[in-house]
Amino acid sequence: MTIEEPIPEPLNPLGIDGIEFIEYTTSQPQAFGALLQQMGFTAMARHRSREIMLYRQGTMNLVVNSHEVSHSTPEVAAIALRVRDAGAAFRHTVDLGAWDMPTRASAMELHIPGIHGVGESLIHFVDRYKEFSIYDVDFVPLAGTAPNPPAIANLHWFGVVQAILSDRTADWLDFYQRLFGFTVLPAGKYFGVVPKGTLLESPCHKFYLQLVEPPPGMDDVYWEEGLLRVGLGAPDIALATRALKERGIIFVDRGDVQPSNRGALTQIYLGGVTFELVASHLKP
Amino acid sequence: MDTITLAGPLEAKLRAIKDAGFTQVMLNAREIVGHPKGDAQAIAAVKASGLRVTGFQVLRDFEGLSGHLHAYKVDVAKAMLAMCRALGSTVLLACSSSSAHASGESEVLVKDLQKLATLAVPLGIKIAYEALSWGRHVNQAMQSWELVQEADRANLGLCLDSFHILAHDTDLAVLEEIDVAKIFLVQLSDFLWQETRTPDERIETARHYRVFPGEGVHTDQVYDMVRRLDKLGYRGDYSFEVFNDDYRQLPLSMVANRARESVKRITSVMARRSLPRRPTAR
Repeated sequence: MTIEEPIPEPLNPLGIDGIEFIEYTTSQPQAFGALLQQMGFTAMARHRSREIMLYRQGTMNLVVNSHEVSHSTPEVAAIALRVRDAGAAFRHTVDLGAWDMPTRASAMELHIPGIHGVGESLIHFVDRYKEFSIYDVDFVPLAGTAPNPPAIANLHWFGVVQAILSDRTADWLDFYQRLFGFTVLPAGKYFGVVPKGTLLESPCHKFYLQLVEPPPGMDDVYWEEGLLRVGLGAPDIALATRALKERGIIFVDRGDVQPSNRGALTQIYLGGVTFELVASHLKP
Repeated sequence: MDTITLAGPLEAKLRAIKDAGFTQVMLNAREIVGHPKGDAQAIAAVKASGLRVTGFQVLRDFEGLSGHLHAYKVDVAKAMLAMCRALGSTVLLACSSSSAHASGESEVLVKDLQKLATLAVPLGIKIAYEALSWGRHVNQAMQSWELVQEADRANLGLCLDSFHILAHDTDLAVLEEIDVAKIFLVQLSDFLWQETRTPDERIETARHYRVFPGEGVHTDQVYDMVRRLDKLGYRGDYSFEVFNDDYRQLPLSMVANRARESVKRITSVMARRSLPRRPTAR
């Protein structure tokens, strides 16, 4: 008689439960806001004390922070993770060697704990996402906006692409595996039209991180570590690209990254921002 | 070369090291924060020198502490890591603890080394852990290797210092047990006495009486160590870790030239071994 042992579920020490929001920084929030609206996001609310706007599309929350920001090209500045207990997640990661981030909350605002991620980016922890919306506390809603604007073609967060320096994959794998419980997908398993680097799956199976070292022979290309772009999941890429093209979004249509049933990549906007569409099996 | 060997201001040290033909420099935190015009000026001087920074030293007594001592050392480590990054160095040297307050439990030491390695990841820095020959619990190279293996972090490796290895009269054959890819830095020095029996003797010798390889009585062992590392496939950086009171009161160019002569001696020994044998005429 044999007893089949169940394959143990990878640990999820922080109780990660998906992405609460993605934060961009830019000194040109209006230009970026216009682009986000073309991408299907709706401006929802303005921060009470700082120059920060909240955009939403379906299940995706996106924050544009222009408070004391000097660079114009929008950069992915933070990932906010839904976790079981934000304070416990913060203490756990800091205890293991994460750098704590000083709080930015003003009086009567929510304190969202966070740690330093790659480059200048941050990783926030949010636990109050079930019983009420954190945005109701810190943001003032814009007049006349529906609270839950639907997503174009069921778009949802799929993941974030992170640029890293040469020979740094193992370092960052340690970081995401040991602190958060991410698991590495087998070599050669990719999603989307940019099959490069190493893919990590979140312990909640709700999103991915893609670590990309500079391609070989590109020593003269300026490459620094940081969050490069977000990936938006879509059940039907053809439907999603068609809908976004109708809104004026232009996709790269040559070479390896031209739209296919695997995904698509937008052109570079505002000096350096792109969005990737990824054929997605995820349930938003 | 390491700035700790030379006297004088940082700029003069960098110039002497460069003039002697070296392309890299190992930097000590005191050189940076002790600069009369401040650390930003010191960092600018290093960048302007054109020398590559081999590594930055030294984080002491980090592992094995608890409570407020641990929290204090984490703050120290973070400041050292930040300086290391600002200097463009990708290696921070961390010495095994000599603190009487430090635990010797390997589980605790491993956890702390893992934490240090994690702190270093976002800054792109590798931790080179070195067994000080007078370390309280870790004082032999193989002990530091065991902890590094157990900690199992990509950016945590070893610094091997010939002084600390030879001061314990370690059999160099043990180097073969170390994964050469996990050796992040090798520091070389000779010293003037045959034996250093007690921790106090080792501290005294290490801090005042080291010389460049070829100038002391352990030359053959230092060469043997380099030869073995080369044979094992080590292709990383070497640095002279020479603390010597005399050298700190001699002209910088003279000391830097003695270092250069030492390099020549080492490379000639290596070259003899590495060169392919000449074909013989029949």
